[in-house]
Amino acid sequence: MQQVTRKKLSAGVNLTCVTTPKFKRAVLCVMLLLPLGGPDAALRACLPQLLRRGTAKLPDLRAIGQTLDELYGARIEASVRKEGESLCIGFLADFIDEAYAPGASGLTAGVIRLLADLLFDPYLQDGVFCQDYTAGEREALLDRIAAQKNDPRAWAPKRLIELMCAGEAYGQSVLGTASQAEQITENKLYTAYRRALDEAQIELFYCGTMAPDAVERLFAQTPLTQPRNGALYQPQTQIIAQPAGAPREVVEPEQVTQGKLSLGLRTGGSCLTGGDPVAYWLLTTLYGGSTSAKLFLNVREKKSLCYYASAQFIASKGILMVSSGIENKDFETARDEILRQLDACRAGDITDAEIESARKTLVNGWRAMLDDPLTLERYWLGQAAAGTMVSPEERIAQAAQVDRTRIVSAAQATALDTIYFMKGAAE
Amino acid sequence: MNIKTYSALDEQIQMRTLDNGLRVCYLPKPGFGKTFAILATNFGSVDASFTFEGKRYDTPAGVAHFLEHKMFEDEDGNALQKFARTGASPNAFTSHVMTAYHFSCTDRFAENLEILLKFVFTPYFTDENVAKERGIIGQEIGMMDDTPAWRAMVGLYEGMYRNHPVRVSIAGSVDSIARITPETLYTCHRAFYSPNNMALIVCGTADLDEVCRMAAEFSPQTAAVVGERHYGVRREAVNELLVEQRMPVSQPQLLLGFKDEPVQPGESRLRRSLLGQLAARLLCGDTAPLYAALYEKRLIGRDFDVDYTLLPEGACALLGGDSRDPDAVREAVVQQVERLAHEGVDRALFTRMKKALYGLHLRVLDVPEAYARREAAALFAGEHYPDFAVLFDTIGPDDVQAMFARWARRDRLTMSVIRPR
Repeated sequence: MQQVTRKKLSAGVNLTCVTTPKFKRAVLCVMLLLPLGGPDAALRACLPQLLRRGTAKLPDLRAIGQTLDELYGARIEASVRKEGESLCIGFLADFIDEAYAPGASGLTAGVIRLLADLLFDPYLQDGVFCQDYTAGEREALLDRIAAQKNDPRAWAPKRLIELMCAGEAYGQSVLGTASQAEQITENKLYTAYRRALDEAQIELFYCGTMAPDAVERLFAQTPLTQPRNGALYQPQTQIIAQPAGAPREVVEPEQVTQGKLSLGLRTGGSCLTGGDPVAYWLLTTLYGGSTSAKLFLNVREKKSLCYYASAQFIASKGILMVSSGIENKDFETARDEILRQLDACRAGDITDAEIESARKTLVNGWRAMLDDPLTLERYWLGQAAAGTMVSPEERIAQAAQVDRTRIVSAAQATALDTIYFMKGAAE
Repeated sequence: MNIKTYSALDEQIQMRTLDNGLRVCYLPKPGFGKTFAILATNFGSVDASFTFEGKRYDTPAGVAHFLEHKMFEDEDGNALQKFARTGASPNAFTSHVMTAYHFSCTDRFAENLEILLKFVFTPYFTDENVAKERGIIGQEIGMMDDTPAWRAMVGLYEGMYRNHPVRVSIAGSVDSIARITPETLYTCHRAFYSPNNMALIVCGTADLDEVCRMAAEFSPQTAAVVGERHYGVRREAVNELLVEQRMPVSQPQLLLGFKDEPVQPGESRLRRSLLGQLAARLLCGDTAPLYAALYEKRLIGRDFDVDYTLLPEGACALLGGDSRDPDAVREAVVQQVERLAHEGVDRALFTRMKKALYGLHLRVLDVPEAYARREAAALFAGEHYPDFAVLFDTIGPDDVQAMFARWARRDRLTMSVIRPR
């Protein structure tokens, strides 16, 4: 039903197509992959939103809004995220398939043209970005940097990564720092933009009914596939198999009611491209990846310590992360219980039922992914950033082969690196 | 079996009502590997006061949500653990107007459906398991209290309504849930988890006959009928024009709510929802002229969003996001509403926004979770979600203008603001 093709369109430009008749919408994505962090970080984080403000032909939000409405409510959102230690900046578009609206032929071509214009034909004044837009987006970026702490549940895991990976690119925020953002000018931004276009690996993604060669032809009519001058970025991520020393514990008081506990662990090298990632996904699922996992059953259901306690395998970087929201007084109890459950996995205290349940949950998740174009986009961009091309179907087949020994080995290879506790200090 | 075909949308709905009143609906999704099933009851946080078997009940705030948590537990174990054996992903939610239990799976559908039907129709509450759940829900309430967007929403409803139970947070408070007993839960279950107050919707790949056979087998033969639900005395004006709270946020967050008249007897709920969403988008949706103007002035950011919500005996438009100057945003929005009420909507703008909203509704059909949830809400009002395509044709610029005229009265607008500490 679903065919995945990947093709190099020119040096450092790749197109991934998921061809399927089953959706009524299509998804298109244009992403620039660049190194995470560094002096240009804030400039790069600012770029997609700045470019989203206007093109030479559609100079402001009104004109872009009108065009999107006419494209049957196509959405184009600026995107800034990380995959491993690659920064991914660009645009994600979703729109209805041409078959489902009267007079909508050419919709895909229209969205591709608009995406290319946003990236390659921005609204300029005197050869650089417009001063007004730059000032607005600089302020908006500063607001976004400051707003990261507004939602404690989202902030706690980010803060943990910042602490745990302080010496690694992965510890850098995708948004850059406030002091970098304050220095943004239209000239600096334009220079960073030209450099990003020269150096980025460009990943194009399409999911919909159109045949890959037809999509390719549409992209070939845009500047996206033109040859470039710079030294092209090759995505790479440093995997640190073991913590550098003894576990660190960081407690920070914040003005919140509920404490947030996050634990960061190293996976012994298991990641998308190394170690035993499939065993690791199974371990993570049975440890804290579902409502039948050890963390849910023990930390939440048996001990009523929290509303949520879950584990996540960040396969792009080789990190296992546990997140939980607890009462302040329960910090030690919850921490010890979370670690005790991991010890149980290390000791092989895992039932066959737990393994089979985790396997089914995992397989169910990968299969369900095939029904969601936006999840597929994330999946395949993750593969591209890791320089690999393993399909969800292949992962499903691999998961069938994992036995208890491999899961226990994965648990034994896991080592605690950093504990972060955001302590509620609200009056 | 009743089959409705929507050829322009390439959709079909198969539907049947069982003898006990349970509505069963199947939305086929050819090519999808996943099947999603949702069993929903027309019982939300706002249904806290009601008359049942001749007696009036005023239950503690948060009872619908508490019940949702407790339903998973049966005498022979927790339903979540039963789903775990099949690999399905189960979950549940309580909104102001509905409580729903759902799972998605890629195989063993019948087994999962049986688990779902059995646990939702089998209450099992003890003093002990109710007490235990208070701890977990207490943590959930604490988490929501730390979420600025949630607090802004609760504040907005407090400001808009004086009596309506929507002004109370869905999960209630630590104090109100302390008053919930097994008996409260049993009463609510008997009253509202009655088959004639519920709907089962399956989206993906299934067989309606088989789904109905199972639903008949695992649901009660008889159905209790809830009497009147009490939402308090309705007033046209808002309760308070401004509700302010302080939290550790980096800049103010605002939420504006225009209190609208409830859906009238005989009026299509779905059409009202489309009309309300269209009006909200015309006013300040992310492709509207006012949005561009406010964004360019740095008064709103990309997170600014609009919506239109329907409640029993209530309706409102919501607009909000981060802003460094909430008062300036409110003033600009008010002026725009007055202008649109007075001058009407530009035809070209109306046409293109309607086209865009059509596209947004169409895309929902691809997302089983969203489609089934919207179908459940539509079913409770005697409609089907895909009817939107036909209803769009009945909406004209005058309808939108009439709605703006209602919003334009100054006593219909509440602003809820979270300000930095």
